[in-house]
Amino acid sequence: MYKAVSGSPLLLEIGVETMYDIIVIGAGPAGLAAASTAAREGLHVLVIDEYMKPGGRLLGQLYQESNGNWWNGLEESVKLNEQAVNEGVKIILQTVVYDIERQDSSWIIYTENIVYTSKQLLLATGAAESPVPLPGWTLPGVMSVGAAQVMTNVHRVKPGDKGMIIGVNVLSAAIAMELQLAGIDVVAMALPPLNQLTHQHSRPKEVMEALLHASHLAPSKFLRIGSKFMTNPFMRQLGIRLYPKSGISMWGIPIQLRKAVTEIYGTNQVEGVIIRTIDINGSPVSGTEESIACDFVCIAGGLYPLAELAGVADCPFYYVDELGGYVPIHNEKMETPIEGLYVAGNITGIEGAKIAISQGVVAGYSMAIASGKQGLVENLQDSIKKVHETRKQAAIRFHPKVDIGRNIIHKQWEARQVPSTNDATII
Amino acid sequence: MDEKEIIVCRCEEVTLSELELTAATYNCSARELKLRTRAGMGFCGGRTCRTMIEAFGIDKREKNRNQVTLKYQAPVRPVPFGKLGGKTP
Ligand SMILES: Cc1cc2nc3c(=O)[nH]c(=O)nc-3n(C[C@H](O)[C@H](O)[C@H](O)COP(=O)(O)OP(=O)(O)OC[C@H]3O[C@@H](n4cnc5c(N)ncnc54)[C@H](O)[C@@H]3O)c2cc1C
Ligand code: FES
Repeated sequence: MYKAVSGSPLLLEIGVETMYDIIVIGAGPAGLAAASTAAREGLHVLVIDEYMKPGGRLLGQLYQESNGNWWNGLEESVKLNEQAVNEGVKIILQTVVYDIERQDSSWIIYTENIVYTSKQLLLATGAAESPVPLPGWTLPGVMSVGAAQVMTNVHRVKPGDKGMIIGVNVLSAAIAMELQLAGIDVVAMALPPLNQLTHQHSRPKEVMEALLHASHLAPSKFLRIGSKFMTNPFMRQLGIRLYPKSGISMWGIPIQLRKAVTEIYGTNQVEGVIIRTIDINGSPVSGTEESIACDFVCIAGGLYPLAELAGVADCPFYYVDELGGYVPIHNEKMETPIEGLYVAGNITGIEGAKIAISQGVVAGYSMAIASGKQGLVENLQDSIKKVHETRKQAAIRFHPKVDIGRNIIHKQWEARQVPSTNDATII
Repeated sequence: MDEKEIIVCRCEEVTLSELELTAATYNCSARELKLRTRAGMGFCGGRTCRTMIEAFGIDKREKNRNQVTLKYQAPVRPVPFGKLGGKTP
């Protein structure tokens, strides 16, 4: 058994660092904001991240907001990192946390070389991309759309010269535009083939509905007018039936909602894709095969909260579609039912980076209060309000009904609260 | 390419048709599906295929929303054996 008990030879061998007040796992926008907030209150804070740069998924983001301003994730990451360092936060990169354990009212955090300990623990591990299986998806040159984003915007390496995007959603639309800004030819975006694992990504009607909520992103008359025009289901059906065969062009990229990629081909690497016309339910129409040459393929299956460490800590979960999948149960103060365990950012549901930052601030105050810091109750309450305001103004909505999702999870929290006579956490 | 040959779990090379057949034959949960086919038990610890295997349990999810279909276990990332207990290599 690899798990060591304190004082065992293993712990001595790999080295244990001094106790921190707070450890944050994940140096994304949520983790960095939480760390700065708590450190400003005088707490001893450590942030651990497995990646080589701080910033998490914020690093790759680059898009124009509806007010015309550009959101440059790389610059925002530098700012958040500097702020944390200035507040005295210690940040350790390229270090994987592979296990966590609660022992004698503190947390033991296992990394490859050092075991860290803390009184409070924040999981800000973000989100991961869902895969979409189709024939040929294991060929070299096929990658997730997020990988293409990181290669292009973070490492400044072209994933290829000519790419095809499979999966049409808010994220892949935003990244398609980013690839194009970097001078990479995106030949088209189309749906994945219909199978037991791809259904909601493969039915033109469902994809269209999801896209309509993001229509502010699309400088296309069809989608923009569409969003007002197609508020009733009948019009939506009509819309998808009348969807032009050649697709609709967004930033010069054809978006094919009536075509699916049924195969990726190539001998040693991607050489192209086979694409077919599909009916409104996603079934391919025979005799419509065409082949499109390309040298890389991006797969976009959407995001889900990356909550593996919460699972290891035995934190209870609840499945909420609107939040992207299984979410650790938590309240508005970012507390989980496990003592000393907090969550913030995309681990609590898929939303944009600004919301992750505002949730991080809430978690920072909650942990500071739990660490015995006085006079922060108002700050905490204000920071919770800020989360709501930020959500209202969000530029990108990954799920149109995210508010409903948030309510579901908070109800789950309330349902778990058994009235107790000495509940010290109630403010 | 044969559609039946779509690989779902890369590490253990389990195909979609194999999963569909097993799920239909035994009417099993995502967890049982994993144990029967080894899908999700490979080197990456299911980090690549887990959501796809979970999706097979989707119909049963209504009753089971508060339980993660496939349990998370440490180590959540591959770690060299030497680091886990033995002498450092
Ligand atoms: C591919 C992708 C693209 C996105 N694009 C956009 C976009 O364009 N616009 C937008 O608004 N939102 C986007 N998002 C959503 C994004 O998740 C949020 O904007 C925001 O970055 C979430 O912040 P976070 O702090 O919760 O998590 P993240 O920014 O994801 O940070 C989590 C950090 O935790 C670290 N980590 C995780 N597990 C461990 C572990 N076990 N040990 C050590 N470190 C660990 C990771 O390395 C990562 O740095 C995208 C998400 C993804 C996955
Ligand atoms: S892809 Fe299935 S275990 Fe790695």
